[in-house]
Amino acid sequence: MILENFSLEGKVAIITGAGRGLGRAMAIRFAACGADIVGAARTVAQLEDTAAEVRKSGRKFLVQPTDVSSSEQVNAMVAAALKEFGRVDVLVNNAGIGEDSFGKKLEEITDAEWRTGIDVNLSSQFYAARAVIPHMVARKRGKIINVASGYGLRGGKHNYMYACSKGAILQLTRSLALTYADDNIQTNCIVPGIFPHNEAMMRFFKGGKFIPIGRAGQDDDVGPLAVFLASEASNHINGELLIIDGGGLVGGIVPTGVAPTNPES
Amino acid sequence: MAIPAGLRDFALTGKRGLVIGAEHPLGRVAAVTLAEAGARVLLASQDAGADEALRQTAAAVAAAGQKNPPIRVQRAALRSDLSATADLTVRQLGGLDILVTALDAPFYAPFEESDDAAFDRVIEENFKSVWTASQEIGRVMLSRGGGTIVHISNVMAERGVPNATLYCAAKGAVRNLVRALALEWARRSVRVNMIECGWLDAADRAETQPGEFHERLVKYLPYKRLLKPDEIAGALLYLVSPAAGFVTGEAIAIDGGLLCRV
Repeated sequence: MILENFSLEGKVAIITGAGRGLGRAMAIRFAACGADIVGAARTVAQLEDTAAEVRKSGRKFLVQPTDVSSSEQVNAMVAAALKEFGRVDVLVNNAGIGEDSFGKKLEEITDAEWRTGIDVNLSSQFYAARAVIPHMVARKRGKIINVASGYGLRGGKHNYMYACSKGAILQLTRSLALTYADDNIQTNCIVPGIFPHNEAMMRFFKGGKFIPIGRAGQDDDVGPLAVFLASEASNHINGELLIIDGGGLVGGIVPTGVAPTNPES
Repeated sequence: MAIPAGLRDFALTGKRGLVIGAEHPLGRVAAVTLAEAGARVLLASQDAGADEALRQTAAAVAAAGQKNPPIRVQRAALRSDLSATADLTVRQLGGLDILVTALDAPFYAPFEESDDAAFDRVIEENFKSVWTASQEIGRVMLSRGGGTIVHISNVMAERGVPNATLYCAAKGAVRNLVRALALEWARRSVRVNMIECGWLDAADRAETQPGEFHERLVKYLPYKRLLKPDEIAGALLYLVSPAAGFVTGEAIAIDGGLLCRV
């Protein structure tokens, strides 16, 4: 029965950035599909809020305050997950910053801003994969889901750290996928398009009116995709970029809303 | 079984699906997958003379829960056949919400030796049939308020393979048809996506013939084995279901990571 293959019943998932946005939506959806969650983020109050939603599904949620740019804290996050649940089936590398800070001019970006962004968005995913892989290799099973962005595939004006860190995540995904294919560990990458998390972002992206399908993404759109990638239903999918963007990245060489026509003869 | 709350977006309860190429191993998996997820399906062939293979698919669909699924032997290369199949689906099932095509005719030959007859046949069976099916079934979807289309293709839509120039060109054409059509119908409630299979474990295929190509290929694959047809089921269901409501124009490769390789 195909739907049973999508179930996460009895699985344990670490989700970084689980206090808000896509991470929160994925945590709640995972729990509704039967998973217990280790939620990591810096802000405990937000994690507690996600935890309350997850527990309504009857699932467990371990609140794990974590600065993902610190490898010590990421190691501690994985250790805490193993201590609490005894195993990790799924790692979702979702935490990220900077998508609401486009526009800063090149010469105004400090070394510290650049390094912090790269560390939070990219190094964090490397640290978490490195911490969890020995456990997954020993069990000969595991799913790693890295969250990138459409800006990892395309550029944008005044968009440096974000585009570079997200682009590198695609490559991290591919190398992990090939290296651990023999160990039955699938690493895939979710590539969200425009998902405004607040009104300012919605204004910046003009309400999503340039998105082909006619609307911006909503956090809940990503939940089912993450469930699919965390489940047995995706066991032969590895190293793949799963784009969820209302058609944005398949076009882009003409503005949305206009189309060429043949010249009149 | 009771569907867990988190999985409801994947269910196809009440949906009506048409599978073209249902005699093909991948088409058969598609038909069974749709039926297991709660849809009712009509099974149409890629080629004439597929009666027995279609009946086998129908038996598998019946075991998945849809008694006596309607079948239609047709040639997917004929526009009039596809048009009649679309109408028949609406009449038999009361609507048409999902189209899955498994239209495939591998062709391997040195480029400089391939003639125009080969060109016409390869393009017709791998690409023109997909174009015509998208058009004839798509028109019905547009007139009825929407639908979702998934074309099952393979990784040759993304890369080149020697001795397969025509075949790669046809598969690549399908990939870009999906991109452009998805944009054209993005605001008309028709989503268009595709699946790209890795090298397939099925009868009568180059990759399963004993010999050097098979042996070296399998060692080269990240999973060290060919793709079993039923391993496409999850991606197919994701793409046709409401769970992928924000996904259009995309391809999901099911290849164990092959496309990551240099």
